[in-house]
Amino acid sequence: MEPSCIAVLDNGACTVKCGRTSVSYDDQPRLITNAVVRSRGDKATYIGHEFDQCRDFSSLHYRLPFEKGYLVDWDAQKAVWDGIFSDEVLKINPSESSLLITEPYFNLPNLQEVYDQFVFEEYEFHSYFRSTPAALIPHGTLYGNSSSAPPECMLVVDSGFSFTHVVPIMEGSIVWSAVKRLDVGGKLLTNRLKELVSFRQWNMMDETYIMNEVKESCCYVSVDYRRDLDMCRWDPRKNPILQEYILPNFSANRNGRIRKAGELINEADQILYMNNERFSVPETIFHPSDIELQQQGLPGAIASSISLLPEDVQGLFWVNIGLIGGNTKFPGFCDRLMLELRSLAPSDVEVKVYTAADPTTEAYKAALAFARNSAFPSHVVTRAEYQESGSNACRRKFKDWRSSDRGVDQTLDRRKGKAPMQDSDEEPSSAPRKGGRTRNRTGIQPSGPRRR
Amino acid sequence: MPPKRGRPRRQVQSTAANAQVWIDPDVLAKRTKKHLEELERSNYTEPSATLTGADDEEPERGSSVRGRARQTISDKREHGRKKKSTMNVRTALLYRKNLTTLIEESGISSLPANCPTYLTAVVPPPNEPPRLICSVCGYWGKYKCVRCAMPYCDLNCEAVHKETRCERRVI
Ligand SMILES: [Zn+2]
Ligand SMILES: [Zn+2]
Repeated sequence: MEPSCIAVLDNGACTVKCGRTSVSYDDQPRLITNAVVRSRGDKATYIGHEFDQCRDFSSLHYRLPFEKGYLVDWDAQKAVWDGIFSDEVLKINPSESSLLITEPYFNLPNLQEVYDQFVFEEYEFHSYFRSTPAALIPHGTLYGNSSSAPPECMLVVDSGFSFTHVVPIMEGSIVWSAVKRLDVGGKLLTNRLKELVSFRQWNMMDETYIMNEVKESCCYVSVDYRRDLDMCRWDPRKNPILQEYILPNFSANRNGRIRKAGELINEADQILYMNNERFSVPETIFHPSDIELQQQGLPGAIASSISLLPEDVQGLFWVNIGLIGGNTKFPGFCDRLMLELRSLAPSDVEVKVYTAADPTTEAYKAALAFARNSAFPSHVVTRAEYQESGSNACRRKFKDWRSSDRGVDQTLDRRKGKAPMQDSDEEPSSAPRKGGRTRNRTGIQPSGPRRR
Repeated sequence: MPPKRGRPRRQVQSTAANAQVWIDPDVLAKRTKKHLEELERSNYTEPSATLTGADDEEPERGSSVRGRARQTISDKREHGRKKKSTMNVRTALLYRKNLTTLIEESGISSLPANCPTYLTAVVPPPNEPPRLICSVCGYWGKYKCVRCAMPYCDLNCEAVHKETRCERRVI
């Protein structure tokens, strides 16, 4: 049986970007809040897509399926997925559909098994494909139009809600040994802004939603931190950075907004002054040590990653840096990155950064293109295969960080065998592995002196 | 408290600036860790049961009756599913584990050193020392509080720091 359609979910920790292949759907995904949200003002709890109905965004309580970028609350996730697959969103019948879903980089093996269990045991999809967002980018148009082949080497920077990854891809495969992670994401930035504002002006500690909006409308990445910091101390009438944000008033049905020059305001309006907060918050991506996080900033992370790649192709990575993820939308992000990369890169290499029209949905669009590719069916694991060999079927077929080392699976299996909490109904973990892996193009690991 | 407009800045006298600051690095490390953990929180205030009603609370570990008595969100929403979930799925739904536990159980820490994992992928520490930024106003923090080592920029910010933020207990 052929599946009637393919559901595509870029399953992010903040939003699920989802859609499906079929004539009646355009290429724009639906963006679904990946949370169960309680609004005190509305006296209602919204699950995933229902959040569109929320009217009072003050003091929302969030229950997020993800913790630090990994899926830990399956109850909440299932509730959101139930809505997405239902007639209220994607209108699919899983048993007749295929699923393409993204997972976090370096997803844990024990979590990957739970993904498999939900897809096949709970939803009973006909077949599925699981991959990281960056691995799908070669199928999209980040590096040019769909008619030209993607570059042989690319360095995808994915800066999302939970963290920021630098992901080198060679000939379509991720070079896992050179993937670098920086523990700064949009969630941390919003929380940082909450903290600064609450200490300096209004207590906004419970106003995650509002402060996220303020962040998205006011914050930018400075190309000259020193200069901007000085300008913030100028006379407010001459300070070009200072903005006044009029906080929302949900009982009066008014959204928050930046006050325009000369705009008259209501006496009841609450003003939030955004001065050095505008750029010191996103600055954390470039200088994590500003919040005492002992990690290199993004430019250093990119340089570190490239230094782990084969020397003869390093230049190809410097010239093919692509940005995805919501944080890359901050004005100035790309300019600042270019500026710093130029000083980190060897003087004889060219540095080029590619940006997407919409960095949030770029991975989804690439995923959709892959789902429409005639080769897609050969990459999926079917429910029949899962019923026969369980998660091993997925481990064999889906390339991930474990494919990069032959010894890894055995080690994990050995350990698993010893683990105290062992499900008895699981298939023997010693099931022989055959085929698959050797055909995969995993030989692209950097060779030579770097792998010590 | 709106920003102080055009307020004159006073220079810190050399006494404070030259004072030796020595605070147990372990204590500071703990403070930093706690701060970074706070920056990962999904909610600042966890609601009390009276505020939210009983329909959507976080599953409190150990507080409710184990097993059967627990309900999933979809159980409560009664979307009319007739099918019974498998044991695997049921377990994942009812027994939430935090990331630290999951990492431990994953076994990735005992993989061969040359195998890249979540644990090895973190970027290295920066090469340059951290910039000191005033913990009150965000400007360069030239000075450090003698009691808690937080940076501040001038006497105004030092005063605000002492009044509102200086952590006598540090943790
Ligand atoms: Zn200051
Ligand atoms: Zn102090």
